[in-house]
Amino acid sequence: MNAWIDASPWRRAWLRWRFHLCLLILLVPVCFFSASMHEQRLDSGQQGIGMRELPVKAIGPWSVRLAEKTLMAPTADGAAGHVKPFVAAFCQDCVPQIRAAYLRIGKPRNLRAAGALFYGSLYRTEAYLVVPPTLKQADQIWLTVEGWDGSVHQTSWPLAEASPVLLDWFKQQGKIE
Amino acid sequence: MKQHNILLALGLLSCAPFALAHNPVCRCTNAAGGTIRCVGGFSDGSGAPGVKLDVIGYDEKVLLKGKLGADSSLSFKKPKGEFYILFDAGPGHVVEIDHAAVE
Repeated sequence: MNAWIDASPWRRAWLRWRFHLCLLILLVPVCFFSASMHEQRLDSGQQGIGMRELPVKAIGPWSVRLAEKTLMAPTADGAAGHVKPFVAAFCQDCVPQIRAAYLRIGKPRNLRAAGALFYGSLYRTEAYLVVPPTLKQADQIWLTVEGWDGSVHQTSWPLAEASPVLLDWFKQQGKIE
Repeated sequence: MKQHNILLALGLLSCAPFALAHNPVCRCTNAAGGTIRCVGGFSDGSGAPGVKLDVIGYDEKVLLKGKLGADSSLSFKKPKGEFYILFDAGPGHVVEIDHAAVE
C-alpha cells in the first residue's frame, strides 16, 4: 500500500489502468478490419483482378485482361527505383499454352529485356512493374507473352489508358522528357 | 532475458516487409582510360557476383559477354557506336542501361 502512495502520478495511473489499456489494444485490429477485408477480397479475386481493370485485349492468338492492382502511385524499392503492381488474367483456354509473361514501360528490345516477370497462376498473375527514371512521351506499357511453342506475342497500352495514376506521378515528378 | 526475447520478436516482425521481393540494380559509370565500370546488385542491398552482364549493339549483336566479379562489378572498354548494357540476373530480373545513360 505504501508503494502505491509513494508512486508518482504517472506510475499510479499506469497501475490503475494497465488492464483497461490492454483491452483497448485488443480493439486496435477492429480499426483495420475494413481495410483488411478489402485487401482479402482483392487478393481472392472477389473484387475482380485489380482495382482498375482494362478491357479485354487480344495478344496474338490469346486474350488478356490487365489491371492495376491498386490505385496508388509507385512505391520506392531502394536503389531499384519505384515499382507498381499490375495483375493480368489470360483467357482460360490459352493458359496451358503460355510459358511466361513480362511487363515493362517502353518497347522491349528482345525477350531477355522484356521487363518484370509475372508470377503466380496465369488465371490471375501479378508483376511488379519497375518504373524507369524518366518517361518519353511516346512510351507505352508493353506486355510480352511467350508460348510453350516458342512464339512471342506483344501488345501495348498508352500509359494514360493503362495507368493514369502512374502518368500523373511522372508529371508530378517532372520526369517526362 | 524475457525482455530480450520480446525485443527480438518485435525486431523480426519489423523486418518482415523487407523479406518481400527485391529488384535488380545496376549502375554504370564512365571510368578512366575509355572504360565503363558497372556495379550490380539487388534492392535489398545484396551483391550480384557471377551475374551475367552483356554489352549489346543496337543491331542486337552481342559485343561483350561478361560476368560480374566477386565485388559485383565489371569493367570493360567502351565499344564504339550505339549499344546498351544488359544486367541479367534471370528472367524478369534484368536491368537495361542505354549507352547514353552511362553516367
